[in-house]
Amino acid sequence: MSHGQDHGHDFPPMSSVKRWFVTTNHKDIGILYLITSIFVMLLAGALALVMRAELFSPGLDFLSSASGYNQAVSAHGLLMVFWFISPFAFGFANYIVPLQIGAKDLAFPRLNAMSYWAYLFSILLFVISFFQGGTFAGGWTMYAPLNIPTYMPNVGGTSVVLALIMFVAAVTMGSVNFLTTIYRMRAPGLRMRDLPMFSMSIFLTVWMMLFAFAALLAALMILGAQHLVGVNYFNVDGGSLLWTHLFWFFGHPEVYIVFFPALGVMAETFQTFTGRRIVGRKWFVLAMVLVALQSFIVWMHHMFLTGINLQIKTLFMVTTIGISLPFDLMVFSLIYTMIKGRIRYTTPFLFSLGALILFILGGITGVFLGAVVLDYEFRGTYWVVAHFHYVMFAGGTALVGGLYYWFPKMTGRMYNEFLGKLHFAVYFVGFNLLYFPMFSAWETPRRVFVFDTSMAFWHKIATVGAFMLGFSFFIMFYNLFKSMASGEEVGENPWEYATTAEWATESPPPLENFTGIADYRGGKLSFLSESEANAAASGTATDGGTATDGGTPPAEASTATGSGTATGGALATAEQALATRTVESEPEHADHASYWPLVVCFAGFLAFLGLSGIQQGGIYYGFAGAGGLLSAIGFVGMAQESFHAPEPTIAEQWPFANVPNMKLGMWFFLSSDVVLFGGFIGSYLFLRVANGWMFWEHELIPEAHVTFPGLVNTYLLLASSFAVVLALVAAHKNSSRGIVASLSATWLLGVGFLINKGIEWQHLFHIHTDAFPNGWNLATNVASSTFYLTTGLHAAHVIVGLIMLLYMIPRAMRGAYTGEDEASLEYFGLYWHFVDIVWLFLFPLFYIL
Amino acid sequence: MARTKLYTAIFVVLMVFSTTQAFIEQTDLIENAYWTAFGVIIGLSTIKAVLVAGYFQHLRWEPRAVTYIVLGGLFAALALTTAAAYSIL
Repeated sequence: MSHGQDHGHDFPPMSSVKRWFVTTNHKDIGILYLITSIFVMLLAGALALVMRAELFSPGLDFLSSASGYNQAVSAHGLLMVFWFISPFAFGFANYIVPLQIGAKDLAFPRLNAMSYWAYLFSILLFVISFFQGGTFAGGWTMYAPLNIPTYMPNVGGTSVVLALIMFVAAVTMGSVNFLTTIYRMRAPGLRMRDLPMFSMSIFLTVWMMLFAFAALLAALMILGAQHLVGVNYFNVDGGSLLWTHLFWFFGHPEVYIVFFPALGVMAETFQTFTGRRIVGRKWFVLAMVLVALQSFIVWMHHMFLTGINLQIKTLFMVTTIGISLPFDLMVFSLIYTMIKGRIRYTTPFLFSLGALILFILGGITGVFLGAVVLDYEFRGTYWVVAHFHYVMFAGGTALVGGLYYWFPKMTGRMYNEFLGKLHFAVYFVGFNLLYFPMFSAWETPRRVFVFDTSMAFWHKIATVGAFMLGFSFFIMFYNLFKSMASGEEVGENPWEYATTAEWATESPPPLENFTGIADYRGGKLSFLSESEANAAASGTATDGGTATDGGTPPAEASTATGSGTATGGALATAEQALATRTVESEPEHADHASYWPLVVCFAGFLAFLGLSGIQQGGIYYGFAGAGGLLSAIGFVGMAQESFHAPEPTIAEQWPFANVPNMKLGMWFFLSSDVVLFGGFIGSYLFLRVANGWMFWEHELIPEAHVTFPGLVNTYLLLASSFAVVLALVAAHKNSSRGIVASLSATWLLGVGFLINKGIEWQHLFHIHTDAFPNGWNLATNVASSTFYLTTGLHAAHVIVGLIMLLYMIPRAMRGAYTGEDEASLEYFGLYWHFVDIVWLFLFPLFYIL
Repeated sequence: MARTKLYTAIFVVLMVFSTTQAFIEQTDLIENAYWTAFGVIIGLSTIKAVLVAGYFQHLRWEPRAVTYIVLGGLFAALALTTAAAYSIL
């Protein structure tokens, strides 16, 4: 039964509109991501054409206002970078990764749906910002101080910040989900190192996302607070530099977050259409790992023109040159793969090859920017614009190739090859007409619509190229729409040398992907029946036997066949034990539908819309109130809903064999939260250094800010943590009364923490001294802002924990959390103890030192 | 349960260390040797955090890879903070 036909488990068919609102299936979500992101591309692309129309000649005044141009530039960049290119890639990731690793779905299907709906509603919030006095107009990098309310006073500017926060929430949910899935739900025998190249690229991408986006979230939350409650961060000494640090700590890994999925598509398509395993696969993968790590130590090359010291500039110049080396290896690997194989010039391959050529140009021109002295000249010019697009849009080019590559799998029909090649030709010529002249016109200042007439010729060519590039997409839309209805039907695998697991099942795949359970232990992909899987699962752990390269060398191995088998490449000896679980003999029922993710995210959207204009009151109060109320209903509904997402009966789970999905997901989330708090605490430390460490203590903090309230809160929080530990001890003893008593104690201690904090804050708000005649409140100075905002973020975490307890205590009274159910208690404990740990550092930093 | 005593002992240590940190603030050490006091106080916080993570969050009994997840986040946060602060020294 195909994906399109399967509507078992009371799951609506694909033809039903309802299905698309309730689905939690990874393939449906993947399609939703793809379609939504393409709409974003159309919007952001239209904005780009508006810009290029303005730039057709200097002083054309097409947009009639500087603000209009600034908004178009900013919205184009923000939408393309955040809301198009990565979500487009994650459309493929959602659809393809579970198939490639032999899983039935992602680890947390409802979380996956939430991730999509949060993404969608964040777009709506962004679109609404255009109608709130104008959208954000400070450039996609949102540099301070342009980003603060003084220069960005429109409600629309605040909405964009909040939309980005919502988007980051979506990204974080997705990262946690993909990491847990890839670590815990691989087919038996599929070792981490053998992941197919696309899945490997997504795996490394989500690792980078987990940390990079957390830093961005810190920056955005601070900026949001500056807009909504007037804290002092990016407007004080060191504030502008702080923004650049936070933004680029995210921003440089973001380049690879965007490019890695494209690299994965390139590697897949190069293998498939050269009929050759990628040359030096092991080194290719190692190079990707190295880049993922190095991506976090190069961010200051975006800051060579700022006042950071020369030593650190030199250091980051070295690390930047260093990160180009693994890329050299990858590029040569792809080139050698073409040389060693026999190329089939299909549309997906052409786009991948085009992407490689564009990326080489983008990479070479980027080396100039990595050198301090040259960067002094090139920074802030069209050289950067051209380089940036040659890199990022090269990624987009490969992803367009990915759309052609997996189109037959998703629809069961083949696209028109001639139209595909025509698309590529128009696209590639248009692309280079658009961006290459910018290298010639590099002296044009970036983000400015007036330029020297001597560069008008190049800008005219660029504008022609822009419209040509834009037009090329309509060839693709026509092709794909027509082919979806009347294209040639394909079987499981339309590509002669495709070998990854998605090509070993129907097109489109059935709801749960495969008719059996994928298994690589025999050295190639095979499928076990439920009974065979259960027999294997009930046996002892194995050494895994041999494992295949998940995505691989057709020339060295037999190809995927229509009979449901696909082979990988070279055999590899397994080093790790295969983790198995013993399960019941009957396959577990899995749910695929829930409308609560949509409800919760819609509620979040309303709440954020209300927040955006909360200072204006009126209808915004209504939105905020409705959002808050609906959020509460949504979360309770979601918690109450019986939704079953079974873990696989047998799976490769190294190195987390004995860590259940939920617990592992919680740890990934907490790790991301470490970076979020790190961003806040780091901001405090940075600003304190910038303003003078001891000056801060002596001049910016009142005498009334004493240690004692902090010490009391430390006692309360430590005691509450201990109470959670006792709740778990009680759960081990099957003592419901013990659990209720311990959780109640935790709740009371947490409430005590907040009351104590409230009293302390109230006192500080209303002090009257010579130095602080109007109290010490959020906006008094940078010290008060960092204190209230950082401890406030922590207090918000405490409140979330207390809300969870309000749900858990009544359940405990009804006998929950004893026996097997105690896991939920443990997961809450992980969160609560983390909140405790954070306070252990906030206490000395904000009360003693 | 044998571990209850262990958990209780750790709780006591955590409370004592917290009190010690507040006590140091009252001594001359913070006036005369600020950065030494800074090191001692942050060191105590680090020990407390390790105890909570290792025992209350059971990291000690989890596969080491779980600890590495947390350390990854910690490393990222420290890299950002220290390099950013150094850049303006």
